[in-house]
Amino acid sequence: MVEIIVFAVCAAIVLVGAVGVIAARNPVHSALFLIQTLFGMAVLFISLEAHFLAAVQVVVYAGAIVILFLFVIMLLGVDQAEDLNIEPIVGQRFIAFIVGAATFVLMVATLAGSSDAITGQRQATGPLGDELTDNNNVRELAEALFTDYVFAFEATAILLTIAVVGAVVLAKRTSGEMLPVPQNTLEIREADYQARVDARAAELEANAAAAAEAGEDGSAEASSAAASDDDTADDEMADAEGGDA
Amino acid sequence: MESTLGQYLPVFALLVLAALFASLSFGASRLLAPRRPNDKKLAPYECGIIPAKDTPERFPVRFFLIAMIFIVFDIEIIFFYPYAIIHRGLGMFGLIALLIFTAAVFESFVYLVSNGALDWGPIKKARLLSPAVSAERTTTSTVRKVGLEGRYVPPTSPMPDAPEEAA
Amino acid sequence: MAGLTNTLAGLDPLFLNGVTLEVLIIVLVKVVISFGVLLVSVMLMVWFERKLVSDMQNRIGPNRAGPWGILQTLADGIKLFFKEDLQPDSSDPFVFKLAPYLSLIPAFLTFAIIPIGGNFSDPSDPSKTGIITLPDWLGGESTYLQLADPPVGVLLFLAMSSIAVYGVMLAGWASGSKYPLLGSVRASAQMVSYEAALGLSLATIFLQSRSLSTHDIVADQAGAGWLGIIPHWNVIVTGFVPFVVFLIAATAELNRPPFDLVEAEQELVGGFHTEYSSIRFAMFFLAEFMNTVTLSAIMVTLFFGGPAGPILWDGVAWLWPILWFLLKLFVFLFTFVWFRATLPRFRYDQLMDLGWKVLIPISLGWFLFLAGRNVVDDRWPNTNGSLFSVEVLILLGITIAILTVGALLLYSAIRNAAEKRELEEVTF
Repeated sequence: MVEIIVFAVCAAIVLVGAVGVIAARNPVHSALFLIQTLFGMAVLFISLEAHFLAAVQVVVYAGAIVILFLFVIMLLGVDQAEDLNIEPIVGQRFIAFIVGAATFVLMVATLAGSSDAITGQRQATGPLGDELTDNNNVRELAEALFTDYVFAFEATAILLTIAVVGAVVLAKRTSGEMLPVPQNTLEIREADYQARVDARAAELEANAAAAAEAGEDGSAEASSAAASDDDTADDEMADAEGGDA
Repeated sequence: MESTLGQYLPVFALLVLAALFASLSFGASRLLAPRRPNDKKLAPYECGIIPAKDTPERFPVRFFLIAMIFIVFDIEIIFFYPYAIIHRGLGMFGLIALLIFTAAVFESFVYLVSNGALDWGPIKKARLLSPAVSAERTTTSTVRKVGLEGRYVPPTSPMPDAPEEAA
Repeated sequence: MAGLTNTLAGLDPLFLNGVTLEVLIIVLVKVVISFGVLLVSVMLMVWFERKLVSDMQNRIGPNRAGPWGILQTLADGIKLFFKEDLQPDSSDPFVFKLAPYLSLIPAFLTFAIIPIGGNFSDPSDPSKTGIITLPDWLGGESTYLQLADPPVGVLLFLAMSSIAVYGVMLAGWASGSKYPLLGSVRASAQMVSYEAALGLSLATIFLQSRSLSTHDIVADQAGAGWLGIIPHWNVIVTGFVPFVVFLIAATAELNRPPFDLVEAEQELVGGFHTEYSSIRFAMFFLAEFMNTVTLSAIMVTLFFGGPAGPILWDGVAWLWPILWFLLKLFVFLFTFVWFRATLPRFRYDQLMDLGWKVLIPISLGWFLFLAGRNVVDDRWPNTNGSLFSVEVLILLGITIAILTVGALLLYSAIRNAAEKRELEEVTF
């Protein structure tokens, strides 16, 4: 009875989270929904007596991998709501839809093909140990991991090494030279900057005009000068932030 | 085998209680606290000045590398725990398996360190001093020590009270 | 299996016969008591810290509310209820409200796995393995004097400290303001870095006690060790190094001085919670101090035998372990305050260097060393009476060789990085 309630609640949490990940407009919200899903999964693992796996789910997935996602989202400036009408890679959505549908069909087929359609009984191979002596299957898990599956265990290490090397190669900027910025980007930046300066100056002029109407005069020049100073300082600071620390 | 879900019951109860405590506190504060927001109060805090630039959007990629190597270590640690629990049963075989695993992980760590991914300090530049700065300007020549030594005392004026005379 | 089979239950006996109404009531009572104890301990801890720091700085400190100012925290807390709660207009409203929960709830939950009492004095006597049996007129149930003993045990603590990172990270991000964002990015990188060292030093505990459950870890440390007087505590058995690593990593994990770069006032105003006011700020504050108390308790449990200690008078035998636990806890709380009053703040690069290039390699090496020692000890038990057999000496040599190679590799990597940096060859 309790198990069924726990399962239902967790399944709801997991599903809501999963839908949220793709439905949320803000990438940080997506990451939060992902944590929700992982957490629900952890509780499901607990209800299946897979305590260690549940802890791993939280410690590694929620505690390290989503942190990495969040770092990437927060630190690379993509944490703004995205325009869903732009498709960055042409045909991406169509392919994603096909792959998603195929995965779904595969899942349904796997479930339907098993003897017990609800629990997938045939896939389960029973408890790892002969008997669970102290209600704690970490021991059994460890034995399986370090004897029968030791090759997979070592392969994990190699995978991890490759991941680190990949990250360094991607992030590295050799011999202190910047990659050339495409001319186009520079122009856009320049134009954007000029537009911002103009807008600010216009705004300040309007303010000054309003102030002048109220009887105060002569401050317009000074304030517009201050405005452009502000903006240059602004950009310098942004550069410094990107470069150091 | 009976379910061990019950073992988590107190944890769950404490979670509910803590969440209730927090939300009730927020509710109470909503009732008790004044609400008089204005533009200045709602602006991001900048020590009093008007915010002139947006929040930074890009951070050094080193943070990303930290998170990356942390994943590697986290996974390694997670494998260490089951090993630690049964290491006596596994004997030499387990130890060697673990050593190979650790060697691979350690290797990636060393690679990261060797590439300077974990160096955070300001870059110390190995450059010569510019000739505009005289070599004679050192801490001993430019900084006056506290006390009477080295202080210029005009010969005509009386010496300031020395400690032994004051006594 | 060669290792000694675990005769200990490893699970709270309260739930062995299913969850009845009686059990439910006991659980609720335990939960409410823990909750109250936690809140009161935080209240006292804040007061204690302020009072002790002011003593160390020749000030008087809080002395108005209640005797010796002991109610100062309560007064501050009540005041914060009446303060205006502001939310910057550039913030993300939902995440801004969520972040305090993500900080506070893990702080509460970690306390659940800490055994705060129970007689652990004799592992061979089932009545002295930390089980408390209620008198018959209260139902006669047996339970541990700890809120829960889930099979994941200490991993719950690790999981909660991973969740707590989100509280800090999202609080800073959701504020939509510069200082909080900088503070939170720093803080999360710091917490993540030291979590690795924390986890590695934790692994040596599991080597020793071969269980994840805190109850088993405490039970494993029971009894006298060498010479009959030196306690069999993990701090000694694992050879001090893991404890020192754990203590440093815990201080950094707590963002307490000297690792409080998160709220380095000179640079970041208040760090990740700069934009939080009123009761929302109080929640972060509460979580911070609660984590200090809980992490001290974790250290007592893992390294100092938990509630173990001599029972001096049989009349109130159940009280003594609790007193010993509180005494040990107090020592750690004092130490944390002492750190704060003594040590100047680290620089960020020093912090990262200490975490990655010192603590992690040391704890990794120490873990391998201890594991190797145990395995060799099992394989070639020392039966001939001499101090070291030939096999042990050979294997000791191999261990030292491996560790030295590792250390040299790391050293040369650090040198290489420093050289490249001076020549400005690589910049990330």
